[in-house]
Amino acid sequence: MTMLASKRLWLAVLAWGITLVMFFPIFWMFLTGFKTEAAAVATPSLFFSPTLESYMAVLERTDYLKFAINSVIMAFGSTALALLIAVPCAYSMAFLPTPRTKGTLLWMLSTKMLPPVGVLMPIYLIFRDTGLLDSQLGLVIVYTLMNLPIVVWMLYTFFKDLPKDILEAGRMDGAGTSQEIIYLLLPLTLPGIASTGLLAIILSWNEAFWSLNLTSYDAAPLTAFIASFSSPEGLFWAKLSAASTMAIAPILVFGWLSQKQLVRGLTFGAVK
Amino acid sequence: MAISEPLSAPRAVRRTRSTQVRRQRVRAAWLFLLPMLVALALVAGWPLIRTFYLSFTDASLANTGGAQFIGFENYLLYYEGTWYGLLVDPEWWRSVWNTLFFSVVSVSLETFFGVIVALILNAEFRGRMLVRAAVLIPWAIPTIVSAKMWAWMLNDQFGIINHALMGLGIIDNPLAWTANADLSMWAVIMVDVWKTIPFVALLVLAALQMLPKDCYEAAEVDGINPIKVFFRVTLPLITPALLVAVIFRALDALRVFDVIYVLTSNSTSTMTMSIYARQQLVQFQDVGYGSAASTLLFLIIALVTVAYLYLGRRQLGGDS
Repeated sequence: MTMLASKRLWLAVLAWGITLVMFFPIFWMFLTGFKTEAAAVATPSLFFSPTLESYMAVLERTDYLKFAINSVIMAFGSTALALLIAVPCAYSMAFLPTPRTKGTLLWMLSTKMLPPVGVLMPIYLIFRDTGLLDSQLGLVIVYTLMNLPIVVWMLYTFFKDLPKDILEAGRMDGAGTSQEIIYLLLPLTLPGIASTGLLAIILSWNEAFWSLNLTSYDAAPLTAFIASFSSPEGLFWAKLSAASTMAIAPILVFGWLSQKQLVRGLTFGAVK
Repeated sequence: MAISEPLSAPRAVRRTRSTQVRRQRVRAAWLFLLPMLVALALVAGWPLIRTFYLSFTDASLANTGGAQFIGFENYLLYYEGTWYGLLVDPEWWRSVWNTLFFSVVSVSLETFFGVIVALILNAEFRGRMLVRAAVLIPWAIPTIVSAKMWAWMLNDQFGIINHALMGLGIIDNPLAWTANADLSMWAVIMVDVWKTIPFVALLVLAALQMLPKDCYEAAEVDGINPIKVFFRVTLPLITPALLVAVIFRALDALRVFDVIYVLTSNSTSTMTMSIYARQQLVQFQDVGYGSAASTLLFLIIALVTVAYLYLGRRQLGGDS
């Protein structure tokens, strides 16, 4: 018995050790954000007098709020649009399957594997010719299309878990397809739809390739801002850390609220 | 559309009604799929064809309309005794090699550590829900942010990693992790591994939790070495999940962009195919040549994707 107990203890120590190592970089960034620039470049130390100086500097001297608003608009806009297209589509795949449904699903997921640089130039040219470059609408469209496969896939796995009898009962009572979706399917799968939406928001929030290449300033989201973060006054690590901490805070909050569903989404529905 | 009919049912009575309803539902099914199919054709199909076409032209960013068709010249051209083009560009081949090296090394390390982390997280201990949530974080935050964070930690003058290694007496002088050509690829790999261990670990953990407990109890009662149990029992059973994880990761690694863009930007020692193609397209504005590189990158990934589809049919086939 004591051997088992000590084995348990060792495993716990090991697990917490790994967690600390994995979490340390984020913790270190978090700490650096509360240092002055001088303290940030001094010999690394866990003990220092915390200050909000860097946060104030970021908020005052950069257009942080503007980029944050861009991120919010794009993440929520593209998610709403993606859900609008994906709900009927996933409904169709889950409840009206054809022999080709499986193939369509896999093909759809495989487009997620495309190298974005392979379609960069044509999309850039369309955007240039239609004035969508560096516009919020442009990125909303790109993010919607980017997330569509994964959103459809997630919704499909949630819809498939719903007992078919419920929808059938509705149909017996004379509900049309759209009524069936609005009054039965959506309320019953709301948690799944919500977590799919949350995942799409996080993916859009994290996206960098398209925002770096299709925006310059007006529509730049936080990722583009942080990627190009530097300061004319020289040292900027504390300010960068403050800006980064603010940029990941919403993700940590959202992620915490929906841990289990998030795992399902981030692993493409493989983990339930 | 093959519609199966219940053969035993009294046909004449049911047929008209049921086929009518079914036909209507099949029509609805396609109607609902349409927006998604159109959207994907617009974002994946048409631009790809256009990239393919542009790769056979001399288009530049300033002059895409008046681009001339030049055949294979972007790929290979023999002119006055010398070969030109992508296929003889040492920098392109360097980036192909870098990409393959990065993909193989980082996916191997991620798989190895991912399995270890999953095995540990599968054990029962205090606060394991908290640990699982914390381990997920590197995978959930933007790569741009984590790469910047690592750039700070790996900074040659002020970075904590050099401080720690020097404090421990492992190195005597600070290392320029991201600037040194010998180190930068390893720095990039380390950051990528850190970021994606959670992904592999979670997939494997899910597989581990489905394993039957009794065969482990039996093994324990028989006093079989746990390492032997792992290789003989656990590993074969989690192989399907592991394959899915490896393929997802491999396809991601082959088109890696943001972590390298932030850590080393256009340095040749870490230049991958995506970075190379983007540099030609955006920085040098050589649309034709960059499109040729994009096309080759696409073909390489398509090959791997075909393998994924093949395995996907077999592996994912079971659960859905």
